[in-house]
Amino acid sequence: MAQIFDRSSNALARMSLVLTGLITIALGVTLDQLQRSPWVTRQGQRPDQPVPFSHKHHVQGLGLQCQYCYTTVEKSSYAGIPPTKTCINCHAQIWTNAQLLEPVRNSWATGQSLVWTKVHDLPDFVYFSHEIHVNKGIGCESCHGRVDEMPLMYEQNTLQMEWCLNCHRNPAKNLRPTSEIYNMAWESPAEDRPVWCTVLEQKADVPTAQSASCTTRDPTAAGPEVAALQLPPVSGSDAAGGNGPEALPPAASYKKFTSQYELGHFLLAQYKIRTPKDLTSCEVCHR
Amino acid sequence: MSGHGKYEGTKNLGTESGLNLKAIAGKPMTLAQVREELKGVQGKRLWRSIDELANTPEFQAAVEREFPSVAQEWVDPVSRRGFLKLMGASMALAGLAGCTKQPDEPIYPYIKAPEDLILGKPNYFATAHPFVTGAVPLLMKSDAYRPIKADGNPEHAYVKGGSDPFSQASVLDLYDPDRSQHVMFRGENREWAEFAEAFRDTVAGTGDGTGICFLSATITSPTLARQWKEVQAAYPKATLVQYDPAMAGTPYSRASNIQYALAGADVILSLDAEFISSATFPGFHKLVRDYADRRKDPNHLNRLYAVESTPTTTGMKAEHRLMLRASEIPAFAAELAKEIGVSGVDAPACAWTDEQKKYLAALVKDLKAHAGRCAVIPGEQQDPSLAALALAINSALGNIGKTVLPGGETVHPIPSDQIAGIKSLVDDLNLGKVNWLIILNANPVYTAPVDLGFPDAIDKARVIVHLGSHVDETGQIAHWHIPAAHFLESWSDARAYDGTVSIVQPLIDPLYGGKSAHNVFQVLLNEPELGAYEAVRATWRPVIKGDFEEGWRKVLHDGWLAGSAFATANAAPRAEIPKIPVPSSHDALEIVFRPDPNIYDGRWSNVGWLQELPKPVTNLSWDNAALMSGATLVKLGLEEDDIVELGANGGVVKAPVLVAPGHPDNSVTVYLGYGRQFAGRVGSGQGFNAYLIRSSASPFYTTGSIRKVDGKWGIAVTKSHYQDHRASPFTTEANKNESLEAVEALGARGIIRKATVRQFQANPNFANEGETHEQTHMGTSIFPNWSYNEANAWGMAIDMNSCTGCNACIVSCYAENNIPVVGKQQVRIGRDMQWLRIDSYFEGDLAAPRAFYQPMMCQQCENAPCEQVCPVGATVHTPEGLNMMVYNRCVGTRYCSNNCPYKVRRFNFLLFSDYETESLKLMRNPDVTVRSRGVMEKCNYCVQRIQEAKINADKENRGIRDGEIITACQQACPAKAIVFGNINDPNSRVVKLRDNQLSYQLMADLNTRPRTKYTAIVMNPNEDLEEMPVEHAPANG
Repeated sequence: MAQIFDRSSNALARMSLVLTGLITIALGVTLDQLQRSPWVTRQGQRPDQPVPFSHKHHVQGLGLQCQYCYTTVEKSSYAGIPPTKTCINCHAQIWTNAQLLEPVRNSWATGQSLVWTKVHDLPDFVYFSHEIHVNKGIGCESCHGRVDEMPLMYEQNTLQMEWCLNCHRNPAKNLRPTSEIYNMAWESPAEDRPVWCTVLEQKADVPTAQSASCTTRDPTAAGPEVAALQLPPVSGSDAAGGNGPEALPPAASYKKFTSQYELGHFLLAQYKIRTPKDLTSCEVCHR
Repeated sequence: MSGHGKYEGTKNLGTESGLNLKAIAGKPMTLAQVREELKGVQGKRLWRSIDELANTPEFQAAVEREFPSVAQEWVDPVSRRGFLKLMGASMALAGLAGCTKQPDEPIYPYIKAPEDLILGKPNYFATAHPFVTGAVPLLMKSDAYRPIKADGNPEHAYVKGGSDPFSQASVLDLYDPDRSQHVMFRGENREWAEFAEAFRDTVAGTGDGTGICFLSATITSPTLARQWKEVQAAYPKATLVQYDPAMAGTPYSRASNIQYALAGADVILSLDAEFISSATFPGFHKLVRDYADRRKDPNHLNRLYAVESTPTTTGMKAEHRLMLRASEIPAFAAELAKEIGVSGVDAPACAWTDEQKKYLAALVKDLKAHAGRCAVIPGEQQDPSLAALALAINSALGNIGKTVLPGGETVHPIPSDQIAGIKSLVDDLNLGKVNWLIILNANPVYTAPVDLGFPDAIDKARVIVHLGSHVDETGQIAHWHIPAAHFLESWSDARAYDGTVSIVQPLIDPLYGGKSAHNVFQVLLNEPELGAYEAVRATWRPVIKGDFEEGWRKVLHDGWLAGSAFATANAAPRAEIPKIPVPSSHDALEIVFRPDPNIYDGRWSNVGWLQELPKPVTNLSWDNAALMSGATLVKLGLEEDDIVELGANGGVVKAPVLVAPGHPDNSVTVYLGYGRQFAGRVGSGQGFNAYLIRSSASPFYTTGSIRKVDGKWGIAVTKSHYQDHRASPFTTEANKNESLEAVEALGARGIIRKATVRQFQANPNFANEGETHEQTHMGTSIFPNWSYNEANAWGMAIDMNSCTGCNACIVSCYAENNIPVVGKQQVRIGRDMQWLRIDSYFEGDLAAPRAFYQPMMCQQCENAPCEQVCPVGATVHTPEGLNMMVYNRCVGTRYCSNNCPYKVRRFNFLLFSDYETESLKLMRNPDVTVRSRGVMEKCNYCVQRIQEAKINADKENRGIRDGEIITACQQACPAKAIVFGNINDPNSRVVKLRDNQLSYQLMADLNTRPRTKYTAIVMNPNEDLEEMPVEHAPANG
């Protein structure tokens, strides 16, 4: 009986073995990449919105502060979404006839919500709190990117779990003074860009947002008055007027930081950031 | 299959134990045989359920696998194919789901945001849950203006933060998708204004209100009473009848309000009064708190005697319990009164047994020894003479003004004889005198006594108007139906049991445009459009002193009107003791009617949480049953779950049979509220309608007949489900008078540790001594120990002396943790999802047991067996010592549950959570994930509340204060039996309780190092009475 397979079959068989392995690996890599791709994470995508609202124009151009719209970012897990009233506050006066703003005027007139599409959308089993992040020195920009340079809003980061854990495992690399939370252009300290910080009061139970004062101008050169101007704004109900500028720190108490590593670890201690072990525990985000 | 081998193993065990030969032979053991087995055996007996004592094959099967019937799908070939198909499809879907992205999520912002709303932070509003025995002052949690959790108002002197199952379930009642949604006239949708016009014109047309009759649930709102009086002034011939089936005929409905100060009572006697177990007992919240306060210090214990006609947890908690047939209780009380020295008591002749005489003698001696420091509490569902006798006894003992405080008023502003009222209404109907019958929040077609023939009589009314939350049995035949506003949807007012006025403040606009009784009465008055808000304000305008607006705001904010409690007297009102009825013959079958412990008179039939809640003592869920003693069961030749036909007062009903341990013989207890036809998707068709055999002459107990009919009912009992196959080391060493679980409970595992005061004084450390009471040893595990020195370490202490098994904690857990309702069939196969259960361990024989209640939820082991077997890391340890479930990681192997010695894990076998019903979405706690199919879940010490507190504390740069975190079960507990806190904080309450020498860990010998500790039980028995109950039942039933 003649051989069914001739000698070349051996080579084919070996090749197919190798190919099977390669294809399996390729498939795995592809799926892995797909899972991280913008197609799944929506990173960089600009969904259709009822009004092409430009953060760039409002933040960079007009200088609106984040909290003008996101009013509860310091008080609640949810940063808040501005009601139509917030738009109308200004747009009852300016651009009152702009075609682009028709949906806003319509909403105001009819009482129907403007239906936005969520750009930063976490899965429902993830419990994220804005409140604790901004009170502990994570700036808006750290997660949302340079919103002031985005004509149309998009997601700068993947918001995937590995991305969250990156910071939860080493929060020091993203910490900044709470006075700089809303500063879109904040840059980490460097040799040519130092930051000076001082501990404001050694009282216990001072809210973390008020426990340190930092400035990017040399307080020893400009004097304490300049430093006082850099004090964090006393935020509403928490402070109740007690920690006003009368408690000026002497200029000598300022410490100079020239790297994010130093500043991050100073703030880590100052803001009593929990340990990576605590921060990476599952119940922090899932419950 | 491996299961088969296991089964053989059990066989051998059974043979070795020598106890269960017959059961293993395949034939279920009858109770007679169980009794035979147990007869003549002395010593302690502990057991958990009758199934277990009888060791039926069903029970065997149940202990075989943790989840009985799980493998059923695999046995039947057709079903197996279906199962594979389903699995294949779901795997394919799961695979695809992994590659799809989340759908776009829209945001709907406000147009103008409310000023005081911070989205993501709840608001709290004080209100009150109106109830016939007095309102429960509540502090409601509201998320984005949706009420999502009800709890007792912590600052209110009457509840002090505790609540009860009914109040806890009020949110589900509010969001019930089956509530009626339209004003209807003869089945067509109409507008409220059309009804108001027709109603007003008709009544005005009569001139004086002739032929206008209102039938209302008991009026508890002072404003509603005022509005009625105004209606009556305008239309003097209009009549009002109040009828509440469970309230009619009770002393409370006859304006007899007695407050008890149990803090000063060393001896308490309950005469058929469920005062610490049933939220329906007037004054429950304060009574149970005062009782429990006296159980917390073993050197200051009170002593509870209970004489009762149906087993309740009050009786089971009692040091000494005497079961009597319902008709014997007034005679027993008369006997007691005579012995105490009450003059003019005509006690009917009754042949008391020696044991009953002994009980009476010891009771009399004890009461006399504690004159002025004792209290006798009569039950509500009893002959009128009982309350009078109890008051006379209290008077003779000098308790009045000390522990017993009579008051003249009840929370009913218009007290009436409700039974006479509904009788006269039926007479009027039959005489054709009723033109318009307006029914307010009542369901008389379903609840009226059967002898009155109400369903026929009501047809003679020309127009029937029904204001109700559902189109129920009455709504079906009414001409006009008006959807009633829930108490969380409309303004009203009510008084707590102590008389303190609370304003019932709405938390949400009416979901379906509901109207309240205030609106109906107001239609007939001068300003027909005036809303309930203005009406309530008008009532209190003359009462609130000082600036009204300021005072009103304070009342709303605080939740009560200061100084509005009833005055109590220091002297008993002189009252003639009515004739004491002669007990019925022992040969006659007595039928006792009680409102259901979960759904009351049927008003909460459609509340799934309450339907699924296991009833106290029997652990029956989703049904009512003819509850009887084991001896009666044997005598009648019945088995559990058989169907019987109960006949009384000319009616018959078919009912399933269930043994209630400790039930008097030749007596049957039936709960009202079941057998609804038009309750809604949850309640319709569950159980049987006991109103069909209940008459107006004897609403609380009657004599009747019983007859077996063919078939099995299929009741769902939750007990015995969480058994594991772990019998071998124990069954062999067990002797005949202890059941498998009993050995665990009192023997090797010391699950229940208890002592009498004397034993405690002799050995205060009894709970932690002895070879069976091992301590954990660090370092004996192959797993590295966690270190908890830096962070918080959460722990819990549960006081079993205080727990009365009232179930408030379970319903609170439902609401807080979005726990799904699974339905009767799933409960029957052991798939109920309650994270918290109350285990009951019975001691003694079938006829007269005592029970110990142990709330059981995840123990948060430091060395957790579940974590070690999870292949996907879905159950993990946190640095603070919690065992967390990460739902989105769970793939449903259920290894964790198999390895859990406490059996506290729950698995979503099917998609139990309701993802479809819109109204239920509003109810969910937004801080807790709604679990899908195939996911394991369990108690996590309310980790969402822990995280919330941690964020607040971290923000303010401080530690977490003791008491800042309260778990849902702790918050609901009216007896304050549960304490939660940081065990690294030496000053915390939880540490003080855990360091108590009575405190012990469950199954510490397994080295699980549970974070929950229990306080051992200390009983305070009367030495004149034998401590251990004796075998009561006659040898052959």
